[in-house]
Amino acid sequence: MVEDRSLGGRLFGIVNFALLTIVALVTILPFIHVLAGSFTTSAEMAAKKFVLFPTDWSWDAYRFIFSTNTIFRAMAVSVGVTVCGTLFSMLITSLMAYGLSRKDLDGRRTLMFLVVFTMLFNGGLIPTFLVVSELGLIDTYAALVLPLTINAFNMIILKNFFQNIPEGLEESAKIDGCTDFGILFRIVLPLSMPAVATLSLFYAVTYWNTYLNAIIYLNDSKMWPIQVLLRQIVVLASGFDHSSDLDGVVPPPDQAVKMAVILVATLPILLVYPFLQKHFAKGALLGSIKG
Amino acid sequence: MEEAIVRPAAALKTGSERSRRIRRNKWLYLMIAPGLIYFLVFKYIPMYGLIISFQDYKPFRGITGSEWVGLEHFRRLFSEPDFLNILSNTLILFSLNILIYFPIPIILALMLNEVRISFFKRFFQTLIYLPHFMSWVIIVSIGYVMLTMDGGIINELLSWMGFEKINFLLSSAWFRPTYIIQVIWREAGWGTIIYLAAIASVDTQLYEAARMDGAGRLRQIWHITLPAIRSVIIVLLILKIGDVLELGFEHVYLLLNSMNRDVAEIIDTYVYTAGLRQMKFSYSAAIGFFKSLVGLILVVIANRLAKKFGEEGVY
Amino acid sequence: MQRQSKASLLLSVAIVAGLLAGCAGKDEGNGGASPSAGNESPKAGGSPSAEASKPAEEPPKNADPVKITIMLPLNIAETPPDTIKNEVEKLTNTKLTYQFFPADTYEEKLNAALATGALPEVTYLKNQSTFIQMKGAIRDGQFWEIGPYLSEFPNLSKLKPRILDNTKVDGKLYSLYIGRPLARQGLIYRKDWADKLNLKAPETVDDLVAMAKAFTEKDPDGDGKPNTIGLADRNDLVYGAFKTIASWFGTPNNWGEKDGQLQPDFTFPQYVQAMDTMKQIRDAKAMNQDFAATSKTDQVALFTSGKAGLYIGAMSDIDSLNKDLLKNVPTAVVDTQALIKGPDGQLSTWAIPGYNNVVLFPKSAIKDEARLKEILAFFDKMMTPEVANMMFWGIEGTHYTVVDGKAKVSDDKERTEREVKGYKDSVIGESETNGMYEGYYTLEGRIRAEQFALENEKIAIHDPAAALDSPTYTEKGQELQNLITDATYQYIYGKIDKAGFDKAVEQWRSRGGDKIVEELNAAYKK
Repeated sequence: MVEDRSLGGRLFGIVNFALLTIVALVTILPFIHVLAGSFTTSAEMAAKKFVLFPTDWSWDAYRFIFSTNTIFRAMAVSVGVTVCGTLFSMLITSLMAYGLSRKDLDGRRTLMFLVVFTMLFNGGLIPTFLVVSELGLIDTYAALVLPLTINAFNMIILKNFFQNIPEGLEESAKIDGCTDFGILFRIVLPLSMPAVATLSLFYAVTYWNTYLNAIIYLNDSKMWPIQVLLRQIVVLASGFDHSSDLDGVVPPPDQAVKMAVILVATLPILLVYPFLQKHFAKGALLGSIKG
Repeated sequence: MEEAIVRPAAALKTGSERSRRIRRNKWLYLMIAPGLIYFLVFKYIPMYGLIISFQDYKPFRGITGSEWVGLEHFRRLFSEPDFLNILSNTLILFSLNILIYFPIPIILALMLNEVRISFFKRFFQTLIYLPHFMSWVIIVSIGYVMLTMDGGIINELLSWMGFEKINFLLSSAWFRPTYIIQVIWREAGWGTIIYLAAIASVDTQLYEAARMDGAGRLRQIWHITLPAIRSVIIVLLILKIGDVLELGFEHVYLLLNSMNRDVAEIIDTYVYTAGLRQMKFSYSAAIGFFKSLVGLILVVIANRLAKKFGEEGVY
Repeated sequence: MQRQSKASLLLSVAIVAGLLAGCAGKDEGNGGASPSAGNESPKAGGSPSAEASKPAEEPPKNADPVKITIMLPLNIAETPPDTIKNEVEKLTNTKLTYQFFPADTYEEKLNAALATGALPEVTYLKNQSTFIQMKGAIRDGQFWEIGPYLSEFPNLSKLKPRILDNTKVDGKLYSLYIGRPLARQGLIYRKDWADKLNLKAPETVDDLVAMAKAFTEKDPDGDGKPNTIGLADRNDLVYGAFKTIASWFGTPNNWGEKDGQLQPDFTFPQYVQAMDTMKQIRDAKAMNQDFAATSKTDQVALFTSGKAGLYIGAMSDIDSLNKDLLKNVPTAVVDTQALIKGPDGQLSTWAIPGYNNVVLFPKSAIKDEARLKEILAFFDKMMTPEVANMMFWGIEGTHYTVVDGKAKVSDDKERTEREVKGYKDSVIGESETNGMYEGYYTLEGRIRAEQFALENEKIAIHDPAAALDSPTYTEKGQELQNLITDATYQYIYGKIDKAGFDKAVEQWRSRGGDKIVEELNAAYKK
């Protein structure tokens, strides 16, 4: 790639870099606050309000949350559901998105409208619960995956990416004897790696954040994913729910524990993105194949 | 698209052509089938639940056993003394989202794309998407710590510079700025991801050609990058418009208090604070129905507009 | 169960599952792979649906222990281990399945289960307001009326009639209550600051205001900087400072009698006096200026950081406040105070209705009277000292020790919290009725707090409408209450004056308040 070495180009680069540094610093602050908060005591948190570097170092919060196997078990559930769910969702979503991206498909507009319609209207918690229950999914992990199989938003985005692939490629593949499945898996998906990576991330985050479905569909708390634990601690510790503090029988959990749980429950999913980032360069392939 | 418009005119002749096309595309239909079944089973079957908006629904009696009330809940909603105020609050926050928040991830993504050193590019990307994973409870409590009049950083700064302290948390005037800044703070970085993916699909040869022609970086952005991600922008915009009345209940609820309710009460928080969430299923379902309907109308309009400008739209 | 579900899954979404058998299989496998999680417990304990759907298949084991499934809100971080449950099972000869669900979203779960007839045999609600919302379902006959059976059970019949009355629906009893001390609220203050400024513990509301001002202006921490305030309060008019201060003025508890009619508390002059007092404290900058947006966590932080010197709320909070404060200010001394007189020299304070939650018995799960009696027998045993202590305090010697006939919580507080706290909030009755130990405390202020709580009960103002019903209130009471809450804050903040407040009350009346008054009075006369 040829670098732009003109004065204007360089100035642009410097200003851009400086602005992004400021943005990054501002956005990282809450995270540092949480990180530092997890290593200190609630007393120091109260005194300093916004801790960026703890003076009163303490591992207590981590010792506390790792002293039972609950967090490990919940983490294992979350990882399992996230990995399976993401793979499953991406498969079904790509199939549907590809089918709907083909302009010669009859009924395509109607189908797309039906999909968009579900983004706006939904029947609510109880009818969905009844469907899940009729399918016999209550108390199975499938109840955390199947109801979320396709996110309409993600499907529409993926379809849009697929549409931007030059039709000529597909045509020539078809002439070479590729089936539609072949075209999707051998040409379209590899060419859409940035989109596939992005939407996999979106799905992974959705599955990772599964909370309400777990509580509604799973009666056995041993099956609950990490978010239930996280949310329970954050809500209790933040003291926003004042209906429960009738007389202080249950003092809120330690602030440091809250921070530690946030960190432990968020770190795995945070690590997904840097790992996916390398796929963002792969779109360049498009140019080379075409050329 | 052309085809679709021509079709009615040549209906007779195309009858067989159409069935031939459908047969040729049978694999495509098979590919769509699993997704379609998903939408049918998990989205369309439960839609009978919308009926409760027109009933006096009691969970223990079920939909079949509950009494019909027609449009009674809608009548109540529209005659609610604060209805107009709540609706306009909702629409104002929505406009802020579209006008202020929406372009920011696009700008950020373009800026990130201009970082030439790939390490820094990834580094920045990773940092700015972190806040998305902090729940609103955390973001709002950090906001409190910074804005409070009792030792909040911003107010300390103001008074150190010789200004009056400002009661950000309880002021109607400051609610909207606080809201939108926190939205940007949490979501802007996350929002860039999808644009970065779109930018990554741009043919790099185009840039080289432009550079040969002596185009500067701003002109490259304007003439190559932006047009390349235009369709994604439009799709996202339409979908965002459909979300018109979904403004993040939790966030607004946490910022809401008795002193800023006149501007901060939106439809979602109203459903909650008026105690409708529990056991007043029908009324809150009717409010949800109203929201969906508004969203649908706006999406249809936006989609039509997009098509008029030669865009693909969402359906 | 898992196999069964897989089969129906395959049938119903045949194509999806068929195409993706690989992943669907993996998904199921995950259930088994994750540390023995999902599979184990349904087999062992019996999830409700498994039990409900095939009771006949259960082999008649000993036929002895009674199986009961219990659903209750989870008020701690994670589901407690079975330590306490196992002991309770031994003591009561039962086989218990506890289903804990996060308190935060408990209502959603409750409604989904109610709508699908999936409530377990024993269903705890979340708090008083969930109970009010459930009244429709109760009236509809979804739950067993247990009133007529109570007399058959020696311990259950000890439950306090006054509180049982508060939990009746249309004069009938459907629930057992979880008791709470009636009046624990009072003042927690920095005694070291008061001593330094030569202030006595406040005995009147005026003393209190003076103390708040002195704590703000007279540099009680002696660092020469104006960095302290008097009162730390939060965005809660009821469990924060306001309602307690108002009750010291003699404001009625939600409803009060005026000219033989029940009227809401905010129509009484004492309510306005209380607002004036709050306004006075705030205007003097003697409290946190943005208390209307302050969460409990932030309120507590103001106190434990050594910035604020007064805290009005549950006096039992003193233990945790003291602990964190000492870390920041090792020389701090805190104490409690209650029995604060209003301007007319009278003593009064408000009282809760004596319960904070109830337990219901759904007819969908309990098929006949015999079964109901089996379950009530379990609760009867729960109200013996052995079982009540086990559930409230834990295992003696492990979670607590008995000192002076009172329970002293062990030093390993984390363990106690983890293993016992989950069950604590489900104990029926209170120590007077179920015979469990009172708490043993070492902190001077806490010991005084317990005494104050008893004294408070003698001067308590009860809510005369606690057991009364008003359809309009159920319909939009909370919505209307927001009008008054907002107006109260706005008055304290000086955004509106008395005329503005009266206007809000007028709005309250015209939008349905008058109807509530009418309905409640009709019910009151009965």
